[in-house]
Amino acid sequence: MRTRTLELTVGLFILVGILALLVLALRVSGLSISPGNDTYKIHAHFDNIAGLTPRAKVTMAGVTIGQVTAIEFDKSRYTARVEMAIDGNVNTLPSDSAASILTAGLLGEKYVGISVGGEDSMLKDGDRIVDTQSALVLEELIGRFLLSTVSKED
Amino acid sequence: MTDDSEFIVDLKQVTFKRGGRTIFDGVDIRIPRGKVTGIMGPSGCGKTTLLRLIGAQLRPESGEVLVNGQDIPRLRREALFRARQNMGMLFQSGALFTDLSVFENVAFPLRVHTELSEDMIADIVKLKLQAVGLRGANGLMPDELSGGMKRRVALARAIALDPELLMYDEPFVGQDPISMGVLVRLIRLLNDALGLTSIVVSHDLAETASIADYLYVIADGQVLGHGAPDELMESDNPRIRQFMRGEPDGPVPFHYPAKDFTDDLLQRGEHK
Amino acid sequence: MKTLSDRIALMGASGLDVVAALGRSGVFLFHALLGRSNFGSGWNLFVKQLYAVGVLSLAIIIVSGLFIGMVLALQGYNILSTYGSEQAVGQMVALTLLRELGPVVTALLFAGRAGSALTAEIGLMKATEQLSGLEMIGVDPLKYVIAPRLWAGFVSMPLLAMIFCVVGIWGGAMVAVDWLGVYAGSYWSNMQNSVEFGSDIINGLIKAVAFAFVVTWIAVFQGYDCEPTSEGISRATTRTVVYASLAVLGLDFILTALMF
Repeated sequence: MRTRTLELTVGLFILVGILALLVLALRVSGLSISPGNDTYKIHAHFDNIAGLTPRAKVTMAGVTIGQVTAIEFDKSRYTARVEMAIDGNVNTLPSDSAASILTAGLLGEKYVGISVGGEDSMLKDGDRIVDTQSALVLEELIGRFLLSTVSKED
Repeated sequence: MTDDSEFIVDLKQVTFKRGGRTIFDGVDIRIPRGKVTGIMGPSGCGKTTLLRLIGAQLRPESGEVLVNGQDIPRLRREALFRARQNMGMLFQSGALFTDLSVFENVAFPLRVHTELSEDMIADIVKLKLQAVGLRGANGLMPDELSGGMKRRVALARAIALDPELLMYDEPFVGQDPISMGVLVRLIRLLNDALGLTSIVVSHDLAETASIADYLYVIADGQVLGHGAPDELMESDNPRIRQFMRGEPDGPVPFHYPAKDFTDDLLQRGEHK
Repeated sequence: MKTLSDRIALMGASGLDVVAALGRSGVFLFHALLGRSNFGSGWNLFVKQLYAVGVLSLAIIIVSGLFIGMVLALQGYNILSTYGSEQAVGQMVALTLLRELGPVVTALLFAGRAGSALTAEIGLMKATEQLSGLEMIGVDPLKYVIAPRLWAGFVSMPLLAMIFCVVGIWGGAMVAVDWLGVYAGSYWSNMQNSVEFGSDIINGLIKAVAFAFVVTWIAVFQGYDCEPTSEGISRATTRTVVYASLAVLGLDFILTALMF
């Protein structure tokens, strides 16, 4: 086979391979949505995060506005401290907004949903969301349900 | 470094073992310069190993392998590289590089060892191919050649750098009479015309004896004898005699060791 | 009649043989990859081998990738629909391919197609004394013949694995979206949400690189080390496929345990 054709074919092969990697990176893994460039950090405390993981999305009104960056155990308050990076454009979150841990779909990826509050002052870098709702744990739900049925039968 | 001594290759007390077998046990072999020397012996006696020892593909356990005064197995990379420029080897099957054309095969040593221009390389290649009679096959690929032609191209490649020493590993095996004749003629011609020393390893008695000036007969890791072909024919040593005359029975027995024939036959009822 | 002690001795001997072969292959690899070459446009040789080993394997990789992706989508859909989670088929196909099937199947196919070809080619060169011929001319066959093939394998197999994954995901999309009626948006967005570049794609790539190293090394060594007869070559080719496949599967287990 002629050297020129050979080299072209090989070059093409390598290009296709690298392209495949790029396609995987951008289209399959959603790499383009990467926080870290112009975000601000806020945190919140939850009694039970039940399966929330770092890199989980943070949404408001269903729209992704940020990511969970870190989850730690707070030794003094015995709660989970969840740190989130919010997109810099979304800087009009009232300081009394509430954060809840919700489940997406039946197979249950956990994510953080923020519902809007009413205050005039906005959340800034380093602020804390006070009003939180922990994740729903199935056993507690069942327990509550059984309890309510029992009390109804009184 | 050339030496004008009488012997171009000098093996001194060389011992070589492989896989528990002793192939050479303290042998001394001297190859006279400028002549065709044949190395003969029964199959498996280590003739090819000898060539590999001279070419530094193998290292002896003990002893010296001197080529032009240099102890080949102990040479460093650079020196070995230069020493190889002076040796050509024709392998049993030709060993042409199958992915290169005839031209590229012959040009290969030139490209490795020299920095000649393309024109010069082309001229030299054509010269070498002309010497072996295959200049017209310049552009063919090895798989388009017959066995005899492959060997001739390999020969052209072996002389590409005008070495002083040419080694032939079983060149006559499986050749038809014509290619045999061609090869025999070429070996002698090249040796004389180019002033080379040729070492021909073979067990083909007639052909080798017809062109060799000197012969070594090797068996069982030892040199049985050496001398001019006619001398060896008249040798007193029974083993040399048996080999040179092709006698089926002698020191190398015809019968594989077995018990007495009559006993063996009479025991047929007792076979398990 | 072999006694028990004879048999045990034989086992020990073959165990020693294996260790000796392993040692030889280590030295072999060292000399092939490191140290100066004394001749050669290594680049041209490398490109030629990339073609032989990489480009020519494209056909089988693409076809297999396509079919495996499609089957994954099909089976995945069946299983997930019992939980009402058909929308997750995208992430299932993608994660399975990226983490496991992509690198492993590519490596197995590569061992069978390119690996056995390498072994046979090098074995044939050994049997026809071309390797000795190179040595006599003063060219180190490890640098001239073996090294380009090693590098070609190291480079092309990971690329092939990536191509395999992409083709598989696309095939899965074809089946899931066009045939089974999964909503295109959910296929891709669920996938994007659950596939992480760092832990899934990069780890898959790391696996592919590790497999490439092992498969190519085994293929090339078996060819170099084989007995220079036609029987020897065919035995070496079989050994390449078997050893390489076992090595890939074993390595896969170890890497998965370490990474995931």
